[in-house]
This record gives sequence, structure tokens and C-alpha cells, in this order.
Amino acid sequence: MSDRSSARAARAANPDYKILVVDDEPDLERLIRQRMRRHIRSGRYGFEFAGNGIEALEKLVELPDIDIVLSDINMPKMDGLTLLQQIPEVNSDIRSVIVSAYGDMENIRTAMNRGAFDFVTKPIDFADLQVTIDRTLRHLDEWRAALASRDKLVALQNELDVATKIQQSILPDTFPHVDGCEIFGCMEAARNVGGDFFDVIRLDRGCLGLAVADVSDKGVPAALFMMSSRTLLKGAAVGVGDPALVLAEVNDLLNETNDAAMFVTVFYGVYDPSTRVLTFSNGGHNPPLVVHADGSSEELELTGGIALGAVPHFEYGQASVQLQPGDLVVFFTDGVTEAINLANEEFGLETLQALFEDGEARSAREAAEMILQAVREFAGEAPQFDDLTCMTLRVADE
Amino acid sequence: MNVQAEHHDGVLVAKVEGRVDSSNSQDFERQLHEAFGDDAGAVVMDLGQLAYISSAGLRVVLLVAKTLGQRNVGISLCSLSGPVQSVFEISGFNRIIQIHENRTAALAAAGK
Repeated sequence: MSDRSSARAARAANPDYKILVVDDEPDLERLIRQRMRRHIRSGRYGFEFAGNGIEALEKLVELPDIDIVLSDINMPKMDGLTLLQQIPEVNSDIRSVIVSAYGDMENIRTAMNRGAFDFVTKPIDFADLQVTIDRTLRHLDEWRAALASRDKLVALQNELDVATKIQQSILPDTFPHVDGCEIFGCMEAARNVGGDFFDVIRLDRGCLGLAVADVSDKGVPAALFMMSSRTLLKGAAVGVGDPALVLAEVNDLLNETNDAAMFVTVFYGVYDPSTRVLTFSNGGHNPPLVVHADGSSEELELTGGIALGAVPHFEYGQASVQLQPGDLVVFFTDGVTEAINLANEEFGLETLQALFEDGEARSAREAAEMILQAVREFAGEAPQFDDLTCMTLRVADE
Repeated sequence: MNVQAEHHDGVLVAKVEGRVDSSNSQDFERQLHEAFGDDAGAVVMDLGQLAYISSAGLRVVLLVAKTLGQRNVGISLCSLSGPVQSVFEISGFNRIIQIHENRTAALAAAGK
């Protein structure tokens, strides 16, 4: 055998598509092999043959790579219409083409209703058969591509679920026990992975670093930006100290590589439980609310900052507030105040402040959970567009 | 959300209407890029009809300001409603992007 003919034989032995022909007419096999010989030699089609429905099912089990079944209707043992019903149980990925007598609309209708993809009529016109087979194969290719992309989507969804778990797992879920104060925080992500975070960092001399932040936009890019922001902030908080300097350092680091113009708004404060002084710097974030024991409340001042990552070499300002026994500081993201209901109304700062007007003493946890509950009730059936984050610092009563 | 572009003596005015949040910020970015094209000498964004902008929308404004800045094209904002104004103040973006009370002032400052 020459090299060329052996290569051809190899192609024919391993065809692109396999077609199972089911017919009790013994001459059909010879006829097909003859009329389709060019496509068989080129390796485009390979043919298998069965004499009735039972034999066809056995072949399908034996050869799971069959793509098309081309079947006659009237055959002994098991006819083509019964075979059509059985095929999906063996291989749901197969497309069937029925061969029927010319004008036999009743059987053709039945076959199509039982899931046949197409039909050809007897006597077989081989040019028409070829067109029908090619159309069926094109459909099959598109169908398989659609299935593959669906599987990819499912895989991606699974990865996102993992990302969500990783992200949730880096948020604090236990809070330090410190004499004289109590801390709690929680976050509900709007999409699978969110752009909000909060952190509680133990610093020297019993001080606590408290951060709440919101990355522009949502989804995977925001989550990645959030992860690096959080790590940089933690490092700077421990190493640098002063809140304004911490934000300046993180801002410069974030600006080094930021072509997407992402930014993160950060409120960062250092609380000293021994003096009840909170020193803070605001990098473009919603100012936290200080709620007093009598139920009155006010926002902390802005300190002339800007969201981190927006412009390099920015000098952040800093301020301090003397907290009183019984004070509660509510740190939150705009997902809380900008939550909307079905009437497109915003939850708003006033509603947040009104929650505390009863002057009731609440633990840090009770206060945070009350806020999230109130936002959920307000939003009702309206979809959650933004992450909801709430962290609370409760100064102990005297 | 909708962006409409008008030309005033070489200054391109982009009028933004509606709400911009993370659900339509990509569309916002595309519409702004289309509106600005390559030939504007200065850009004014009229936000008078903008009801709400989230941080995702702010990112687009920042991105556009940076891109135009690289081409030495000045950008300013005008006619901000109360809530939108406060978003720009809280985020600190009013420190890096010029904000004018109305379109006349913005056009005057743009040099026309």
C-alpha cells in the first residue's frame, strides 16, 4: 500500500461523523457505500449498518460516537417509529433522519412528533440525502457548541461561588473583645462577588483600626480591587499609624497600576478605648453616623479627602472626635442609604437616623442587624443593586 | 439613562439624563465615548437631568476625565442636582473635576 492510500485508509477508519443506517433492505448498504464513497474515503462520513430497530439499539450501545441515525420505517422486529422513541434513552445527543415512502404524511408526522430531525423519501435521491445529512450535522455542531458554552457558564458560576466564599471568609466574623467597647460588622453582597469590605485591625497600645470601604462598580474586577485594597490597607494600618498617612500610602500604591480608573472609598479610623477618642481620615466615603445615648445623631465631618486610586500623591486630612459613654458609631456603605424600593425612593440618611430616635440602648450587633433588617424591609421586592455593609462601634456605658 | 451631545462653538456639551449605576455604567461609558469622539476642544457634562449616580458611574466620569486629560482636553461638569452634588463632594471628586453652577458658567469657563 502506498503512503497516500494508507493515509486515506487511516482517515476513513476515523471519520469526522458516524452515521448509522437502519434498513432491512440488504442492497442499501452496497448502494450507500458506492454513492457516498468519496466522502467515506475523505474521512468525512463513516457508515454503520443495522437490519432493524433492535440491531440498531445494540449498535448504539456498542458505538457511543454515532452522530446520526438514518432509519427506514417498516422493518421486522422493531420498526423505525418505535426505534425513534428508544434512541434518546441510549444517547440523547443523536439526531435521527427518517426514510419514508413518498407521500406517507401520516408516518412522517408521527416520526417528526417523536423527535426525528428531518426525513427523506424513497426512492432515495442521494443528492438530497447528502444535503439533509449535512444540514443535520451543522445543527448537531451548533447544538454541541451551545452545550459546551452552557457548561462553561456553569463552571464560571461555580468559580464565582468560590470567589464569594473566599471574599466572605476574609471579612472578620469574630470581633475583638476590648474593655470599654464592642464591635460588630456584616456585609451582604449584591452580586456574587461584591466590592464592599470592612475590617477591624488590632494596633499597638490597645488601639483598634476600623475600616469600611466601597470599591467603584461590582462584580469580579471590583472584587479583585477590593482584595488588594484591603491587604494594602491592613499593611499600612499596622506599619504607618496615622489615619491620614495610611490613606495616602494606600492611595499611592493603588495608583501605581490602575488603568481601569477603579477607585475605592475608604473611611479609616483609629479608636483608643482608654481615651474614647476616634481619630479618622475620610477617603471619599459616606461619613459615619455617631448616635448618642439620647437617640440624637450626627455625621462625622469630612476631612477633605478623595476616593483612593483616583489621583496619586494626594494629601489626606484627619480629624478626631471625643466619644461619650453609650455612643454608637455606625460605619456603612452607600448600599444602606441609597437602597431603593419599588417606588424608586431612597432609604436615605434621615431614615437611618430615625431608627435610633427611640433612644433605646442596643448592642453593636443589635444595632447593625436592625439597620440591615430595616433596609431589607424598605427595599421589599426591589432588587438589591449595591452591597450592604454595616459596622458598629458601641462605647460602653459608664 | 441617556446621553445627548450638542456642540457650542467648539465646546461639546453632553447632557446626561436618568440614573447611572452598576447595571448601566458600561452603557454610560460607551455613550460618552461615542459622544466625545476625537475632535472636541473642551467638554462640558451637563448633569441637570441626572437623578442618581453610583460609584460605578463616578468611575466612568473619572475614566473619561483621565482620558480627555491625556489629550489635553478640558472637562467640567455643570447643573448638578443636590443629591448628585453631594456624591461628588463626599467622594472628593469635586477636587479634581471643575463643577459649575450652570451651563452658561461652564461654557464661559471653557473659554467660549
